[in-house]
Amino acid sequence: MFEFSYVKAKSLPDASAFVTAHPDAKLMSGGMTLIPTLKQRLARPTHLVDIGGLPELGGIESRDGQLIIGAATQHADVASSAVVQKAIPALAVLAEHIGDPQVRNRGTLGGSVANNDPAADYPAAVLGLDAIIVTNRREIAAADFFQGMFATALEAGEIVVRLRFPIPRRAVYEKFPHPASGYAMAGVFVADGAGGLRVAVTGAASGVFRWQEAELALTKKMSPAALEGLALDMSDMNEDIHATREYRANLVRVMTKRAVQKLAAA
Amino acid sequence: MSDTHAANRREDLRLITGRGRYTADMNLPGQLHACFLRADRAHAEIVAIDAKPALARPGVVAVLTGADALAAKYTQFPNLMSFTGRNGAGILKPDRPVLATGKVCYVGEVIAMVVAESALAAQDALDAIEIEYRDLGAVVTMADALAPGAPQLHANVPGNLCFEWETGNAAAVEQAFARAAHITRLKVLTTRVAPSPMEPRACVVSYTAASDSYDIYTPSQGMVMLRRQFSTLTGVPEDRLRVHTHDVGGSFGQRSGVYPEHGAQMIAAKQLGRPVKWVGSRAEGFMSDAHGRGIEIAGELALDRDGGFLAARYEFLCDMGAYLTPTGSVSHLRNPATLMTGVYRIPALYGSFKVVLTNTVPIAAYRGAGRPDIAYAVERVVDRAADELKIERAELRRRNFIPPDAFPYKTPTVGVYEPSNFAGCLDQALATADWAGFEQRRADAVKRGKLRGMGLSTIIEATGAGVFPKDQVAIDVDAQGKLTVHTVSMSSGQGHETTFAAVVADTLGVPHEMVTLRECDPARDLTGNHTGGSRSMVGAGSVCKLAAQKMIEQAKPFAAEELELEPSQVDYGDGAFRARDGDKTISFEQLARKLAGRHPHPMNTLAEASVGSTWPNGCHIAEVEVDPETGVTQIASYVAVDDSGTVINHQIVEGQVHGGVAQGAGQIFGEEVIYDRASGQLLTGSFMDYGMPRAGMLRDIQVGDHPLPSTLNALGAKGVGESGCTASLPALANAMTDALRPAGVGHLDMPYTPSKVWHALQSAKVT
Repeated sequence: MFEFSYVKAKSLPDASAFVTAHPDAKLMSGGMTLIPTLKQRLARPTHLVDIGGLPELGGIESRDGQLIIGAATQHADVASSAVVQKAIPALAVLAEHIGDPQVRNRGTLGGSVANNDPAADYPAAVLGLDAIIVTNRREIAAADFFQGMFATALEAGEIVVRLRFPIPRRAVYEKFPHPASGYAMAGVFVADGAGGLRVAVTGAASGVFRWQEAELALTKKMSPAALEGLALDMSDMNEDIHATREYRANLVRVMTKRAVQKLAAA
Repeated sequence: MSDTHAANRREDLRLITGRGRYTADMNLPGQLHACFLRADRAHAEIVAIDAKPALARPGVVAVLTGADALAAKYTQFPNLMSFTGRNGAGILKPDRPVLATGKVCYVGEVIAMVVAESALAAQDALDAIEIEYRDLGAVVTMADALAPGAPQLHANVPGNLCFEWETGNAAAVEQAFARAAHITRLKVLTTRVAPSPMEPRACVVSYTAASDSYDIYTPSQGMVMLRRQFSTLTGVPEDRLRVHTHDVGGSFGQRSGVYPEHGAQMIAAKQLGRPVKWVGSRAEGFMSDAHGRGIEIAGELALDRDGGFLAARYEFLCDMGAYLTPTGSVSHLRNPATLMTGVYRIPALYGSFKVVLTNTVPIAAYRGAGRPDIAYAVERVVDRAADELKIERAELRRRNFIPPDAFPYKTPTVGVYEPSNFAGCLDQALATADWAGFEQRRADAVKRGKLRGMGLSTIIEATGAGVFPKDQVAIDVDAQGKLTVHTVSMSSGQGHETTFAAVVADTLGVPHEMVTLRECDPARDLTGNHTGGSRSMVGAGSVCKLAAQKMIEQAKPFAAEELELEPSQVDYGDGAFRARDGDKTISFEQLARKLAGRHPHPMNTLAEASVGSTWPNGCHIAEVEVDPETGVTQIASYVAVDDSGTVINHQIVEGQVHGGVAQGAGQIFGEEVIYDRASGQLLTGSFMDYGMPRAGMLRDIQVGDHPLPSTLNALGAKGVGESGCTASLPALANAMTDALRPAGVGHLDMPYTPSKVWHALQSAKVT
């Protein structure tokens, strides 16, 4: 770790102003990605601006067909929330399988979404549910928010405040964990909601994406059989020592099929 | 010692409540902190190195480089090879200065050490050291290293081949192969793995000018062997080296040797006159802690028409990494050679070995140290022979077991096996695992779309005979009659505080709480072997029993005096000395208290014995289920039946088996150190990429005993530390082969990762 100054933000405007004024300062919520990065000396921020405890970033509520979760809500709280379990049980299940207990009790929804790790779980739910990312400045649709590996629509000084998830009729998240890291090697969020049927995939490619061929096929026929022989673009799939493109594409197919099976049973 | 305690481990409360005292917890007044600059390339000449900019950084006290290592003459690491190779040649030992000089030979090799007032200051200054390299081209596989024209790691090791050796009778094997009805051939690989004990490597060195001596605080497997290694490396006499080890968070063989960092810290501590502390990171661990295994074995087995084994031949290629560790070469040759016949009567055997250097982390003994490798080769070959000849796998083994009347059995290579009951272990395991009912379970799995397989291994091990010719144990008696047992083995999870104390207490017939163990007290001048090769209970444990027995005899004249009898009239039992005739008695504790005024306490005892190899053996059976859609395997059941001789504490024996099987399963299903073939970069440098096993992998292991106490030591113990690794590699691989065979998949090298299994199934579909 390199030396930095720790700043505990007093309010959202305070945090925003600070990071705007200090271009090499970093916002920190749970720090579950940031702190390991610092320990490996892969980042050298001048300041860490801790927004984890800000009351504006808390809260979980369900109203008007939407589930609203504050950005600093920890994964463990999403997993155990009766409100979440009732509104979108798949989201609670997803949160329950992020990382390990330590990570789930420090890491936050907003932190995960803002970081946009290509193998993180939440982006699949956010895109699959067509959620709205509410920041201190504006509202951003999921489709516009995620912009590829570790890239988002967030501007300097912009902070994720809460997420608004439209409550779907039914949804399932099916994850194949990476054998070493436990991150998603392929995570598929299938949601059947007001906006139609969506299939969002994380872990397999450089960023979260929608498998539109599957969405079309499943809209016509909600059955695992509908997925057989469907095209799936592998050109952007990750390939490394753990898995080939072909294997990752297969995992996307299998996870989608299993999600659809569960969805049909739900 | 017929006691079958399952007593909870006495060390656990201390360890699990954070009161363990590890090396990172050691802090000495005035200490400085070290940080190491490591090679970021696999093979390169160091054209120039400039440490001055780092010296100018805040808090930096000194920067040491290869020049300091050369000046101190810390360049020759100890190596425990005890025999010569082809044409009488000794192993070729490359020079290894404790800080690289002239060139680097693997990613992670130490080049320079910054010593500063804080660890952070030392780390900050690393970046300021300027190095000019000239890349030399890396070889990270043995095939690449042995290829004509390959880059040469060391001038004194031509062709990167540092040793060739053979054992057995080549001509007899040749003749047997010529008349065989069938020959089975299989080439297997035990992958290179990173042992990754929970406690990172660490060391604190303090130098005392007045006595020209060193105090070295470091995790170890026992101080005597490590002290000798420090002395060999540095030329400092052993009596000026005090090695201090308190709690150790896992060793697995990786802590059996001296490391370059130890030597560099000794140079700095003397040069600067202040203690120097270093605590390694996990990333440093992956790139510099000794790796394990890494042996390619080509096996051939000749059989007659009834499946009788006629002869076997094995060719070994042993990867040692860029330099020789103290233990790697000897364990990777001697153990496979000793155990090449497995549990089978094979009239003719021949093995040939090549020891190869590559641009990778040096390899040392790792839990099993060659035993899992040879068991894996033998048991995979036997399974393949059964498949080729359509003889049931357990039956083929049974036909060829060394029969009970053949013991002591002199193998065609170098060992003499003590009595064992291979068929007994096999039968018990087959029954426990319901071997006979497997095909029904396989058929049920097929209905669920799964591929189910079952595999077994019948294995034998030679426990470590040790490096030092004898093991000593001292028992001190205090004024309250409480006992402190001193040994020079070192627990790193084996539970010695519980078991050694139990051996002494039970021999004396006193409560366990009266006995406390103190391992590796540097103030005690004891000799003996380190913990390794499954030998601590066999060696130190046996001497604990002998010491307690000796203590009784030593105390008897004093008891007789108290009882006003001749010593010959005094018996001992149930914790008391008593008159053979009559009811006069004095308890052990009473006597100890009575004698407390004398110094030293007359009951204090020193015992020693030479304790050689024993032969633990057993049968493990694994049942697995593969999901063909994803390639994921579940271990459906696992049965381990071991003959570890006399069992002192069942809970600890089960724990050893669990741990060993978990490490074996880790290697079979996920662990593998991978280097980039072109650049020599380490690709599995963190737990993000290196697939350690998780608790969920093995939900239930049924551990069964089939003890046949050894007659070779006082306890009858055979050792259990490594059997889990040794037996599980072949049992799990055989189960995987069995599961995948119906889908048309043949032999696969470990690890059976989901991706590899899925691809193999896809290829089989196509062909």
